[in-house]
Amino acid sequence: MAHPLIDLVHISKAYDGATVLDDLSLSVKENTFVTLLGPSGCGKTTTLRIIGGFERPDAGTVIFDGQDITSLPPNKRQLNTVFQKYALFTHMTIAENIAFGLKIKNKPKSYIDDKIKYALKLVNLDGFENRSVASLSGGQQQRIAIARAIVNEPRVLLLDEPLGALDLKLRQDMQYELIRLKNELGITFIYVTHDQEEALTMSDTIVVMNQGYIQQMGSPEQIYNEPENAFVADFIGESNIVPGVMLRDELVEIFGAKFPCVDKGFGVNRPVDVVIRPEDIDLVEPEKGTLTGVCTHLIFKGVHYEMEVTTPDGFEWLVHSTDLCPVGKTVGIHVDPFDIQIMNKPESEDEEAVGVNE
Amino acid sequence: MNRAKLKRLIQDFYLVFVLIFLYAPILTMMVLSFNTSKSRTDWGGFTLDWYVQMFQSSTIMDALYNTLLIAFIAALVSTVLGTVAAIGINSMGRLPKTITMGVNNIPMLNSEIVTGISLMLAFLAFGISLGFKTILLSHITFCIPYVILSVMPRLKQTSRYTYEAAMDLGAGPVQAFFLVVLPDIMPGVLSGFLLAFTMSLDDFIITHFTRGAGINTLSTLIYSEVRRGIKPSMYALSTVIFLTVLALLLITNFSPEGQEVSRGLPPTEAEKAKKRRLETARKALLTAASFCVILAVSFTTYRHFAAARSNELYVYNWGEYIDETVIEEFEKETGIDVVYDLFETNEEMYPVIEAGGVAYDAVCPSDYMIQKMIENDLLAEIDFENIPNIDQIDPEYLERSKAFDPENKYSVPYTWGTVGILYNDKLVEELGAKPPESWLDLWDEKFAGEILMQDSVRDAFMCALKPLGYSLNSTNPEELRQARDLLIAQKPLVQAYVIDQVRDKMLGGEAAVGVIYSGEMLYLQELAEGKDFQLEYVIPKEGTNLWIDSWVIPKNARNKENAEKWINFLCRPDIALRNFEYITYATPNRGAFDLLDEELKQNKALFPDWDSLENAEVYQYLGDEADSLYNELWKEVKSK
Repeated sequence: MAHPLIDLVHISKAYDGATVLDDLSLSVKENTFVTLLGPSGCGKTTTLRIIGGFERPDAGTVIFDGQDITSLPPNKRQLNTVFQKYALFTHMTIAENIAFGLKIKNKPKSYIDDKIKYALKLVNLDGFENRSVASLSGGQQQRIAIARAIVNEPRVLLLDEPLGALDLKLRQDMQYELIRLKNELGITFIYVTHDQEEALTMSDTIVVMNQGYIQQMGSPEQIYNEPENAFVADFIGESNIVPGVMLRDELVEIFGAKFPCVDKGFGVNRPVDVVIRPEDIDLVEPEKGTLTGVCTHLIFKGVHYEMEVTTPDGFEWLVHSTDLCPVGKTVGIHVDPFDIQIMNKPESEDEEAVGVNE
Repeated sequence: MNRAKLKRLIQDFYLVFVLIFLYAPILTMMVLSFNTSKSRTDWGGFTLDWYVQMFQSSTIMDALYNTLLIAFIAALVSTVLGTVAAIGINSMGRLPKTITMGVNNIPMLNSEIVTGISLMLAFLAFGISLGFKTILLSHITFCIPYVILSVMPRLKQTSRYTYEAAMDLGAGPVQAFFLVVLPDIMPGVLSGFLLAFTMSLDDFIITHFTRGAGINTLSTLIYSEVRRGIKPSMYALSTVIFLTVLALLLITNFSPEGQEVSRGLPPTEAEKAKKRRLETARKALLTAASFCVILAVSFTTYRHFAAARSNELYVYNWGEYIDETVIEEFEKETGIDVVYDLFETNEEMYPVIEAGGVAYDAVCPSDYMIQKMIENDLLAEIDFENIPNIDQIDPEYLERSKAFDPENKYSVPYTWGTVGILYNDKLVEELGAKPPESWLDLWDEKFAGEILMQDSVRDAFMCALKPLGYSLNSTNPEELRQARDLLIAQKPLVQAYVIDQVRDKMLGGEAAVGVIYSGEMLYLQELAEGKDFQLEYVIPKEGTNLWIDSWVIPKNARNKENAEKWINFLCRPDIALRNFEYITYATPNRGAFDLLDEELKQNKALFPDWDSLENAEVYQYLGDEADSLYNELWKEVKSK
């Protein structure tokens, strides 16, 4: 088991009286790819900037490798950042950009030259030494920004939505590139994004954040399959979140129909939220379905059809299926017990998730 | 022709029209700066003499030195302060930022005259004597907002992440600033510097209020030269200033943003080459501009200090009212360093002496103003033991001076002249009139639309008071009202009320008769040579104004003995002669008069017989009450 490299302990931060982070604690292990995921304004970037040293928390401490670095300026920290807009130095060549950190540390010239070559090779941009920043494409600039950071051999690389400005194809390529880099360098990546797909693709651990709180932390599979609250369920992928009543263990009632499930321990006749992913709904003959409804919308999405089935109570179920159901047709809805995820109803909108999965 | 073509034509015509409107005046000035003739209407051939004269004049070169040095230091200091301020402002929150930028913009929108006066008041209130340093401080003050304004957009463009990135890579805050932020905002800082330099170079109003004794910048120098007619070397100087400012502005605006190539697409080779060329050209221009600035500053500094001495004399005189070589010769002979300052009108000079913020040693006001200064106890008695050359002054003028300096204790006459009627003999004949000999001839209907009157209150009233048989120093309201009615009656016949243009209009044959100062005559007659008409000067029989400009020593003079040496020097016949040849106003110096050509001695316009001056009077100071009565009545004349 790797030991924690970074520990954020009870961090709070407010700007102009508006709380951005509220008593946040987070532990990051060595050599993992951790993603902070959440909508804009959830505090993920602030968290990253606190780790990077660009912001001071109002309360709490930042522990790095066992040492308190809360008040250490960025230039004294053993980590490097890749900024959202790359922040390359436009008045310098590519080589000068990459050499910047090493020159500050007064490394010998031959060492610097070797490092530049190595870093450019690592990001697949050999021979770009004397190009100007303006002559590079967005993806190339991004890779230079990463090269500039990693030549300093940081123990942690912080990345603030580094792919946000790229187009879809480039973004996907860069995702694989980042995973490869992480594996080759063997260092810790802390990655900030609002793109759930990006997070699911690259991370070892995802930290879902909202309104300054950590909502859930876990592996991509845990986050996707077992969301702990409606926010996580809604934010990660698409889902049908419906009110239900837990009649007893392994049986939940939705809109008057009884669905067998695998969840236990919620008590008897307890109101809950039920999460059902659109791809987990099977459309069957009306008489075989637990619920029946009428298909009201149909869109072809390429891999599958996206349909809406309206049940008599007025709820519109989102369904993904490779089988087509024409609009106006009455169908039955069937869900396998292990595809039903039961959650406690939140007491308030921004309620913190209970406990954090390790 | 189809509609579109016509539309196009009208558009082009309009554009050309606007451009002509904007640039014709400047072009005129530029052309005149190469004109051999001093006239503003005649082209006498191409010459570079005015440029040569400009570079040889120590007054102009001193002013140039001050202008450049002030502009350079002010630009440098304000660039540093402005850049630092801009960085501070940029990192503020939105509200404080908006407020601060508003505060920053106010001085730029504020009327310059308000800024100038308030700066002057602040300096005086804190007991800082006006001089080089106050101009410099003022210029720094008004340049800072411009620097901030030109650095701000560049800062906004610069992502704050580059600064953080530098810190992230191990640079301390200072290192990060100099290695990353400064190079990034450099175009803004440089254009801020050049803008500040240009603004300072250009400024007149604020400089005018905050300058002290002996300090002139080019703009204040040109202003003070205006009074006796602008010399063509001033056109040359203005041309040089215009071209300099134009060049600086062009450089400032020369494609400072080179990096805006779209990020997605790599630029083509051609684009890159073009960009590189632009970048190189810009760098070359900036370097050249900075080089020129530094060269000019060091050159003038050298000249300035090569001439610097400690034994001083502060002289306050009219513009164009001395042969500059006379100053140099005086300095050489006596070892006294002359600080020479100019004023344009008596009214401008008086408050400066009265305030005493600047201690002048020798001043050259006119008759009535000397009287006012004596009455207000501003003048020191001259020790005539130190002025043996007073013998050279014709006693007649000392006698006349008693009108304003009753005991001849305070003043030594320098130049004098009369006011009379100038007429064009050919036009007068054509109009069927006889040559004028009385002021009343200006009321002759034959001259309808052909009369030029002086646009100054005392001179205009003199023209009416004299034929009515009253004194030109009359303060009797009844007499003045009669004069007013007479002037109103004349108004339909008058072509224009003017000052300087009398000369040009008469030369151009645009008017038949005009009221003019005798001092202009020598110069006018020279220019009129070869024309098909003669310009004749006559002193009307009812008498006229005899004016005398004399040297006086203010009470607060610090170098009174030097001032007496100066006055004595100017009374030397050879020196007086040289000044006469330069100024062309009649000299009261008998010794100088004796040295003149016979032809000049006989020039009745310049040196009229004393008989014809029997009724002539010297203007006296009439007191504030009479002054405002005169002004009120004159206003009535002008507004009818």
